[in-house]
Amino acid sequence: MKKFNITVNGNSYEVEVEEVGGVASAPRPAAPTPAAPKAAPAPKAAPAPKAAPAASVPAGGEKVTAPMPGTVLDIKVSEGDTVNSGDVLLILEAMKMENEIMAPATGKVVSVAVNKGASVNSGDVLIVIG
Amino acid sequence: MSVNKLDDLKRRKEKILAGGGEKRIAKQHDSGKLTARERLDLLFDEGTFVELDAFVKHRGTNFGMEKAESPAEGVVIGYGKVDGRLVYAYSQDFTVLGGSLGEMHANKICKVLDNAMKVGAPVVGINDSGGARIQEAVDALSGYGKIFLRNTLASGVIPQITAIMGPCAGGAVYSPALTDFVFMVDKTSQMFITGPQVIKTVTGEDVTAEALGGAMTHNSVSGVSQFIASNDQACLEDIRRLLSFLPSNNMEVAPEYDTDSDINALEEMLNTYIPENPNKPYDMHEVIKVLVDQGDFMEYLPHYAKNIVTGFARLNGKTIGIVANQPKVLAGCLDVNASDKSARFIRTCDAFNIPLLNIVDVPGFLPGTEQEYDGIIRHGAKMLYAYSEATVPKISLIVRKAYGGAYLAMCSKDLGADLVLAWPSAEIAVMGPQGAANIVFRGEIKDAEDPVATRARLIQEYTDEFATPYKAAERGFVDDVIEPAATRPRLIDAFDMLESKREVRPAKKHGNLPL
Repeated sequence: MKKFNITVNGNSYEVEVEEVGGVASAPRPAAPTPAAPKAAPAPKAAPAPKAAPAASVPAGGEKVTAPMPGTVLDIKVSEGDTVNSGDVLLILEAMKMENEIMAPATGKVVSVAVNKGASVNSGDVLIVIG
Repeated sequence: MSVNKLDDLKRRKEKILAGGGEKRIAKQHDSGKLTARERLDLLFDEGTFVELDAFVKHRGTNFGMEKAESPAEGVVIGYGKVDGRLVYAYSQDFTVLGGSLGEMHANKICKVLDNAMKVGAPVVGINDSGGARIQEAVDALSGYGKIFLRNTLASGVIPQITAIMGPCAGGAVYSPALTDFVFMVDKTSQMFITGPQVIKTVTGEDVTAEALGGAMTHNSVSGVSQFIASNDQACLEDIRRLLSFLPSNNMEVAPEYDTDSDINALEEMLNTYIPENPNKPYDMHEVIKVLVDQGDFMEYLPHYAKNIVTGFARLNGKTIGIVANQPKVLAGCLDVNASDKSARFIRTCDAFNIPLLNIVDVPGFLPGTEQEYDGIIRHGAKMLYAYSEATVPKISLIVRKAYGGAYLAMCSKDLGADLVLAWPSAEIAVMGPQGAANIVFRGEIKDAEDPVATRARLIQEYTDEFATPYKAAERGFVDDVIEPAATRPRLIDAFDMLESKREVRPAKKHGNLPL
């Protein structure tokens, strides 16, 4: 019996995983029959912890951060969109100005980290371009 | 004179002109760089360069240096004409001992600075050097020190322009930093105190020379260099252009050029360019372009602190310096970097008798812990200081927002603006209507039956009454409210009127600029 802590959308779940077919005693290169159920629990545990980091910030993408504290007034792009350098990504209302936040590079919108109406601080990630 | 002696002179000169030899020159060209002499040929009007000290040799005797030849001692110096005006220059020769700086090399640079100061001519220094000539030990160090001292003494007397066209590392970086303008060439120039290898050893950080001290790094991140060019030719052309905006020294005014632009033309576009809604951004460059002669604007530090736009232009053929808020970036707020950038620019203009035009659309200083911890008080003070100290003609043009301390920092009447003009769209107040209404009418809003409606009504009342240029004009803080289309003729007339301005400051050793 193995225990895992899995976080999905910010909720933490404790999951117990039991290896079917007993303990290590089961000879690995044995009959082909136990191999199938053995494979089942393995992928179940694997993708879950992977999903958690993916939800935050994918590595390698260009992060577009808030240049100053403000409110997200409008988001002009959605995930998967292709953007050119200089395209307006979103409007950040700050210092009573509807500031256009522009794409620093050409690429694909990997993720939109904020919602319309969200308050952001200087340095917060708004959008990730891959 | 015998023919032999003339032949001898010719032979000696030829050897010096050959620099480090064909092979090294080919290598220099292969790396995308011109030689020291080719650069001077491009900088000066054709055939005007006069070389000095070509025969100077080093005096090193250690580590085999006694046998090392160094044509022109690795730096070509002299004077010539740029657009017909005298300019001094030195140009380090990377093909000769890697352009390394030793005692005599430094003495040649010092001669350029000394001579230029005597005659009041700008100096252009072209840097392409591997650094100190280690074989010459403290003599090389002393050389740097002598140059730093002269850069400082010449500061504010003659314009000093440095072009980084190759490596510039260690102590060598401080001479450029002491000068008025630093140009860098993209991809072929680097500046740093300690290079990537030292950084790797000491801190373990992996960084390329280009990322650490390349042209774009210093033009956009550190602000060490104000101009970037794509290659040597473009860089030298830009230097010639910059010189056209500058006087030769602090006792003269910048040269005047004929202008094809109509000085009385109205620009109807300005009447509608600024968005009705004060929350909408626009590009300040567009305003500048239609105000100045031929739309010709040479921007100073265009890639750094973009929330403020600084640069040189001409009105009716005469140079002015422009400092303008950029609503498109950071809402046009003043922050630490914008304060530093503009304060340095204002002082450069004042030192060289260049009148200032301040175009104001500023919502305030940028709020946040980061700014406060970085010392926005100390840095913002530089702007106030620079404007207050400046005695050149100062005209402020308020096109939209002018709020609070930032209104003062953008050269208000009280900081010594000689003339303040405002467009009807101007809003000059201590703070924005929303914030102000919340404070001034707090009680009234709280006691109202419908606080939301009351608040909205009071904000509107405040906006109509105070978010205008007229309250400030009633007190004389604004000299006139003008139609935007008529701005250019009005500015030309105003700078003309201010040409004979004389203003004295109390005698002192020197002021104490907050740093």
